[in-house]
Amino acid sequence: MSLEDEYRAVRHHAALSRMDHVGLLRLVGDDAIEAVDAVCSGDLWVRDGRMLQTLILDDRAQPVADVYVCPDNDACFLMVEGITTEELSECLARHVDPDLDFELEDLGPEHELLSVHGPYAWEVMSRWLTPDIIGLPYLSFYHFDLGVCFRAGKTGEFGYDLMLRNEHASKARSELLELVTSLDGAEVSLEALDLCALENGFFSIRHGSVDGLTPIELQLQWRVSTRKRFPGVAAIEERRARGIRRRLTHFVAADGVKSGDVLRGPDSPLGEVMTAAFSPAVGGVVGTALLDISVAHPGIAELFVRDRDATFPIRTVSSPLVLNRSLLVDPRSETYATREDSLRPPLWQGALP
Amino acid sequence: MKPDLSEYVASRVAILDRVRRILRDTMKLKIEAEAIDPDAPLFGTGLGMDSVDAVELLMQLDSVFGLYLAGSPQDFVKIRTVNTIVDAVMELGDEP
Repeated sequence: MSLEDEYRAVRHHAALSRMDHVGLLRLVGDDAIEAVDAVCSGDLWVRDGRMLQTLILDDRAQPVADVYVCPDNDACFLMVEGITTEELSECLARHVDPDLDFELEDLGPEHELLSVHGPYAWEVMSRWLTPDIIGLPYLSFYHFDLGVCFRAGKTGEFGYDLMLRNEHASKARSELLELVTSLDGAEVSLEALDLCALENGFFSIRHGSVDGLTPIELQLQWRVSTRKRFPGVAAIEERRARGIRRRLTHFVAADGVKSGDVLRGPDSPLGEVMTAAFSPAVGGVVGTALLDISVAHPGIAELFVRDRDATFPIRTVSSPLVLNRSLLVDPRSETYATREDSLRPPLWQGALP
Repeated sequence: MKPDLSEYVASRVAILDRVRRILRDTMKLKIEAEAIDPDAPLFGTGLGMDSVDAVELLMQLDSVFGLYLAGSPQDFVKIRTVNTIVDAVMELGDEP
């Protein structure tokens, strides 16, 4: 199956994926939340059963981990991308008060994480688990007999992450794949999910280099507390005091643009391409660029990449780039079988430069 | 920078600043307006606005910019981030 077919499954149907790259951890003990709070950059204002996206930063305020924090009574689940369990354990040992009562459990060896995405992912989950799943709010979770179901996702479509005990995972995977396939969907790769995340403007720890970048340039200030101390806070304060000089901005291009290219303006270089990938919805390249703050705005078509033989213009755009089908599908009044997809507007309505 | 580009950026920044101030007041955020990222999601995650905040935001956008949005899914797309609101306001200016 091609990447384009996988992409279509996520954007128009339903898709199953293995999430082996995500660390599954749990902190237990009276001070579990306090321990997480000490290493994460965001304010952990989140109730039991809900999820919160935050970051772990290094001393230069560069993101090293993208984290979901999920308080669960006297414990706290963590879904971590970017660092290993050992690295997280070292981070906790370095930054958390040793008198706090908590213990870190690695759930990875005994669990598998599967995810279902797409505008009809809810229909798959409704048939596999319970029709009540339709009422599960975004960024919340609940326990069921085989594991835990998290309503999350970074594709802009309906998304569910299933943490299943190993003994149930294989059967569950077969059943879910059968349901996904019945909706003309497929099993998809991490590459397809990353492409969707890029189009929707989700931060990915795997999208290009973040070397020397902080949440300020990455447009992740909403994940940074202004009330507490955390690893990297001094570097953020210093960066804020200096003023914002560069900002990550999305763009589209017809072709010829790749990660690492210098972006030139009418008079001088004004930025660098951080990520670039072909988007079937756009019919061209979508990407992110680190731009001088003077031009880090959508709607600018004066920037270009030049190589020896040609010039490739780009156009900066607002993210999310796509009109997600999941915004238009109403689980209460339609199913995949009764959908009227042809009446819906295209995923992307912009113009390439 | 070319005059046309400078003019475009200046008008965009002016609207961006006003939208950020509206959001800060609507959400009662105790942060500098500049700390509201232009591409941060307004709903679900990001600034974490809810349906009550959305109603207040729609009223403010109508009152300040004359941007009337009825609340349909297509309208919702225009208020997903600060930048999408700025886009919608700038489109108003382009209308004949």
